[in-house]
Amino acid sequence: MDKKLFPVTSLKEGKEGVIHSISGGLSLISRLAGMGVIPGAEIEVLQNNRGPVIVLVNNTRVALGRGQASKILVAFDPSQKKG
Amino acid sequence: MNNRGKLIIVLAGQPNVGKSTVFNVLTGLSQHVGNWPGKTVEKKEGIHVYDDVEMRIVDLPGTYSLTAFSEEEKIARDFVINERPDVMVLIANAAALERSLYLLSELLLLDSPVLVALNMVDVAEGQGIHIDINSLQNCLGIPVIPMVARKNKGIKEILSQVILLADGKLKYNPRIPDISQDHRDIFLKLIKLTKEHIPAPYTVRWAVTKLMEGDPEILRMIEDTMPVDKWSEIKSLFLKHEDSLRAVVGGRYDWIETVIRDSVSRFKRGQVLATDRLDHVLTRPLFGIPALLGALATVFFLTYKVGSPMQRLLEGLVKSFARWAGPLLSWAPGWISGIVLDGILGGAGTVLTFLPILLIFFTSMAFLEDVGYMARAAFVMDRFMHTIGLHGKSFLPMFLGFGCNVPAVLGTRIIESKRARLLTIFLAPFVPCTARLAVLTLVAAAVFRERAAFISWSLVAVNILALGFSGMLASRLFLRGEPMPFIMELPLYHKPNPKTIGMVVWNRTKAFVKKAGTVILGFSILIWLMSNIPGGRIEDSVLGRLGRLLEPLGAFMGLDWRMLVALLGSFVAKENSIAMLGVLYGAGEKGLRNVLPDMMSHASALSFLVVLMLFIPCAATVSVIKQEIESWKWFLFSIIFMLLISLGGGIAAYRLALLFGI
Repeated sequence: MDKKLFPVTSLKEGKEGVIHSISGGLSLISRLAGMGVIPGAEIEVLQNNRGPVIVLVNNTRVALGRGQASKILVAFDPSQKKG
Repeated sequence: MNNRGKLIIVLAGQPNVGKSTVFNVLTGLSQHVGNWPGKTVEKKEGIHVYDDVEMRIVDLPGTYSLTAFSEEEKIARDFVINERPDVMVLIANAAALERSLYLLSELLLLDSPVLVALNMVDVAEGQGIHIDINSLQNCLGIPVIPMVARKNKGIKEILSQVILLADGKLKYNPRIPDISQDHRDIFLKLIKLTKEHIPAPYTVRWAVTKLMEGDPEILRMIEDTMPVDKWSEIKSLFLKHEDSLRAVVGGRYDWIETVIRDSVSRFKRGQVLATDRLDHVLTRPLFGIPALLGALATVFFLTYKVGSPMQRLLEGLVKSFARWAGPLLSWAPGWISGIVLDGILGGAGTVLTFLPILLIFFTSMAFLEDVGYMARAAFVMDRFMHTIGLHGKSFLPMFLGFGCNVPAVLGTRIIESKRARLLTIFLAPFVPCTARLAVLTLVAAAVFRERAAFISWSLVAVNILALGFSGMLASRLFLRGEPMPFIMELPLYHKPNPKTIGMVVWNRTKAFVKKAGTVILGFSILIWLMSNIPGGRIEDSVLGRLGRLLEPLGAFMGLDWRMLVALLGSFVAKENSIAMLGVLYGAGEKGLRNVLPDMMSHASALSFLVVLMLFIPCAATVSVIKQEIESWKWFLFSIIFMLLISLGGGIAAYRLALLFGI
């Protein structure tokens, strides 16, 4: 396993990883925390086109603007087969 | 009835956990929707009597957490802290227990006892999530009751436990999450420093936790009450520990993890849910946009196919009622029957005939909201809304505007950011409401005959373009700021719940009828007086003279004084302008449809319609804009802006029409 850090926006649809860290203001971090989006949580990218992103965390589907999504760093193994 | 006082019960819960379903079941029609004092956030409460105990049920705003980053969160916690409810019921989502427990971890820091109502256990089981209620109860140290609110299961159990808990007859020994290990020292230090300075009713533990979360309000409060030297000590502590928010959040999730590990078991992982399959289509641009257009077209089709005949029927009823009531008023002086028949029945009465159209429109919208589709519509629209400086969430209130601008303006409350809300309120009146569409179709059909449909659609398009243009202008010139964060949960799709839909429709319709009964009624009478004083012909009345006074201005747009008066009258309610045109052009027996083509040139009619569609919104909308915008400056700016856009549009339409010989 060779995990590297990627912002959510650079992950392809269907990829899964673990949230490593969230940069950004207190308000963003605490809003995301209330929805279960915190470091250590498993995250799956459901949709990632040009517009906003949809991720699945803790059995909750969350739509995020690209600006917000790019602040979430995910530990992800690029050689991951499944996805 | 029991001789003790009413119990105050608070319903707390994150969005999309079925909180409003529970609230509706408990309060039914006893519920009262108002505002939190001095705030533009909706406050819902009602009464429920169970086992001879009267309970005042207060629905807290649905929030993900209780840190004061939004108005709702501030209100929710201020209410709990100041009113000290007897019991707080946390509605938790069994299928996503982790984040419901996050809110619980915040509630446990407050003083009132909490009971967990574990909702949607059926959905969770269906997804292979099994929750052991006994271990959950033991881990949390507080009562937990499973329920399925949609099927009315578990409500009675909750109520009887609420009463026992309020009476102190239940074991209540909550386990409260700690701060992460690495920050426990600073937490204890902060407690020591602040202990004597936290004003009641706040508790030290709660205030220090909020301090570490960087809660702006508590920071300010403590800075004000602390001696300067201690405050600077605290500040230097924070400089060394910038990540204290992480420590609080981390501590909470450690606690959540322990609870989940002991009480939740998952099997059948990796199944593809119906929601994901639907989203695969509905949230992608390729299919999502046509699907959205299709859904909206269906809403319009239903609204007008079913609603319009009913509206005409009611209109006929109002007219025959007026004919029947006329002789009954023959005893009274002319001005009384004038006010009653023409003012009240003709003005406010006509407005109320639009009720069926609104009912159908609101019902279809509430249906789309309830099944979970509107969040997807907001998602699909997000990229378009960005060009006007907004994001997807503003789409829902704006679309409501096609029914009536009043609920549209009120509906902007779902938008967290103040700036985005202001901008959405500012743009909402550009969405043509049913009343304006009614005037548009009537005048276009009379004057433009076979080209009526084309003219009508073009004018609706003009409004949408004006909305887009104003949004781009306003977001770039007057309301600049940080790009707003877009974070929105996409709830699971589910079967529609008639009761929830019914309550939404009921509350929105009530808001409209209230406005028709107060603001519109008042202005109807005022306009009647203005067009009848001094008595005699309408030409000589206050309104007629005002119209003539403005005639030079009207000449730019090809509008004679009658059309100007009709536009002024449209301020009461847009559909009023039809009645006024009828009176002013002396339509009488021949009917307005037959008179208009001789009276209005094509260019003038086009200009009239453009101005009408973009004009200052009706009195009811103006009054809610004033109420919601909370600033005289922006209110006046918005009204003057609409006025300039509509007059400019009228001039442009008239000149272009003459140029191209339409």
